[in-house]
Amino acid sequence: MIEYDDIERKMVLKLVYYGPAMSGKTTNLLQLHEQLQRNGRGDLMVLDTRDDRTIFFDLLPFFLVAPSGLKIKVKVYTVPGQVKHDATRKAVLQRADGVAFIADSQHRERASNVNSFSNLEDNLALVGLDIDTLPLVVQYNKRDLPDIVSEEEIHNSWQSTGIPVFCASALKGWGVVETFRRLVALTYARLDSRFLLEERHGLDRDAFVAGLVRPRAATGVGERGGEV
Amino acid sequence: MSERENIDYVVGEEKRLIDLLTGDDVMPLLQAACRAGASRVEVRDEAQGILWDHGLSTGSVGSGTLPGFVSAAEELMVEGEPVGDIRLLAPESCAGVLKTILALVGGALNTVITSNLKRMLTTEIHTRVINQSYDELLAINARLTESERNYRELAENLETRVQQRTAELKQAYAGLVAQQQMASVGRLAAGVAHEINNPLGFVHSNLHSLQTYLQRLVEMLQFYRARHSADGEAAAEGDALWRKLKLDFILEDLDDLFRESIDGAERVKSIVSDLKSFSHIDALGTEKIELDVEVDRALGLLAHETPPGTRIVRDYRTITPVTCVGGQLSQVLLNLLRNALQSRSEGLLLEVATGFSGDQVWLSIADNGSGIPEELRSRVFEPFFTTREVGGGIGLGLTVVHNILEQWGGRVDIVGRPEGGTRVEVRWPRGADDG
Repeated sequence: MIEYDDIERKMVLKLVYYGPAMSGKTTNLLQLHEQLQRNGRGDLMVLDTRDDRTIFFDLLPFFLVAPSGLKIKVKVYTVPGQVKHDATRKAVLQRADGVAFIADSQHRERASNVNSFSNLEDNLALVGLDIDTLPLVVQYNKRDLPDIVSEEEIHNSWQSTGIPVFCASALKGWGVVETFRRLVALTYARLDSRFLLEERHGLDRDAFVAGLVRPRAATGVGERGGEV
Repeated sequence: MSERENIDYVVGEEKRLIDLLTGDDVMPLLQAACRAGASRVEVRDEAQGILWDHGLSTGSVGSGTLPGFVSAAEELMVEGEPVGDIRLLAPESCAGVLKTILALVGGALNTVITSNLKRMLTTEIHTRVINQSYDELLAINARLTESERNYRELAENLETRVQQRTAELKQAYAGLVAQQQMASVGRLAAGVAHEINNPLGFVHSNLHSLQTYLQRLVEMLQFYRARHSADGEAAAEGDALWRKLKLDFILEDLDDLFRESIDGAERVKSIVSDLKSFSHIDALGTEKIELDVEVDRALGLLAHETPPGTRIVRDYRTITPVTCVGGQLSQVLLNLLRNALQSRSEGLLLEVATGFSGDQVWLSIADNGSGIPEELRSRVFEPFFTTREVGGGIGLGLTVVHNILEQWGGRVDIVGRPEGGTRVEVRWPRGADDG
């Protein structure tokens, strides 16, 4: 939680797209920007990049007003995936309300996925967040490529963790909104228990999700991606 | 670290218009708008407070429509959210360009806001990363310094410990050497005693027999001489031969010869016996020993090392035997006395004193020799420390004395004498049953 102001009736949340370098975090944001209605979201801000590699972060804000008048702003960030930008990752991760871990489905990226997830665990601990209670979803991106880890394998690896896993191709645009929607839903559950969103602000989960995730009509791109 | 400014910036913190724009950014645009035809321009924040304005000062644009003027406004956006607006007031005659001016100035301001926001975000995260990296470097540096300190300490301790162990080993080795020396001296003494005692026995016994036999022969010789004294010519011949052979002198000297020989043999016998008892080869544990007798015995054994003309002054005051390990006492005495005897090649005055002082036994051996320089006194007990030339000694004498006294719970001190020479004082506790 970046900010919560009861008097000004304002809440600013932070969701973070984490993962190894080149796994498609920025592409996820670009697709959200593309596939979601302009109404209810801000502009995608891409901070200076070099050779298409994120060195600071990208930001896509979303807005929602609860029936009570509480203004909710959800800022979705990407972190730089390259190992050397760990300090920046930590900075972006601070006070996160939810994390989407974007993994690279290609066989050769297995080790990078593992290292990055382990780095996520370390950094969450360092910034004082508990990975067991933090809303977390995993997305296996690049499903459109050959030579990728099978869904069965992914299922077997993650089943025991209870973490929702999605298959996606951010480049083609599928699975991106589903991943985001689940992350938003998980985030709501946690917020509701702390801030009584439904009871005090008349905002239930479906309204929260629907308010933040508004697909453009008839894009049809969400059909192939889905939860494993 | 605490001296450094602590920037607690969280990525995502909300920015207001006033955070993102400065007068330098805004004012030229407002002035340009007025030059282009606007009468008044205002930039307001979310709460409608005026942040910057330019042009007519006839009250706020939004406070009411002035007759003959038109107004228009455009939202200012941060991250896609309105955070304020820009409002223009222009004469009705300029209504046509009002929208154009507004679009230009509003667009410019929004661009400035976005680029300022990006600049701030990158600067802030950059600063944060730099600070964090710096903190981490400091922490790493602290850990390295600590670890270096540990290693240095370890290295230093190691040296000290090696020195300690070396000294201990040297001591142990010295002890071993001394023990071996003692054992070999003892074995040698026992062997020599055994080898000498047998021949000495028959030399001694034969000398007595020989003396008896010779007396008989002399008796017979004198009988014959007396018988032939009247026999003129033969007697004269016999007398001449008697004189030629100096038999009067021989007969007279014979007794002395025997006495001296027997005395000599007896002295050899007593030396051998001293050697044997002095080495205490037969007694390994403690025994009751008369210190004074032991000192004299040692002096006797060292007779051949005693320079000619040496004067020995004895002052013995131990009246009862002391309990100690005899072999060790011998070592102490031999080493100390030998040092004293070697301190001067002639005109040596050796003062040996013993006594009891409270529950202590003391022994003092003083010489008028060359003395030990002050700076060497602390080193003379070190194993293998010697000032003598190679072959003159292996530098264990005083070490042995020191180690033995330490075992006894006593001490050895070297005292310089104002009149020259050295006095060595040895003292150790009397056993409970002594005295």
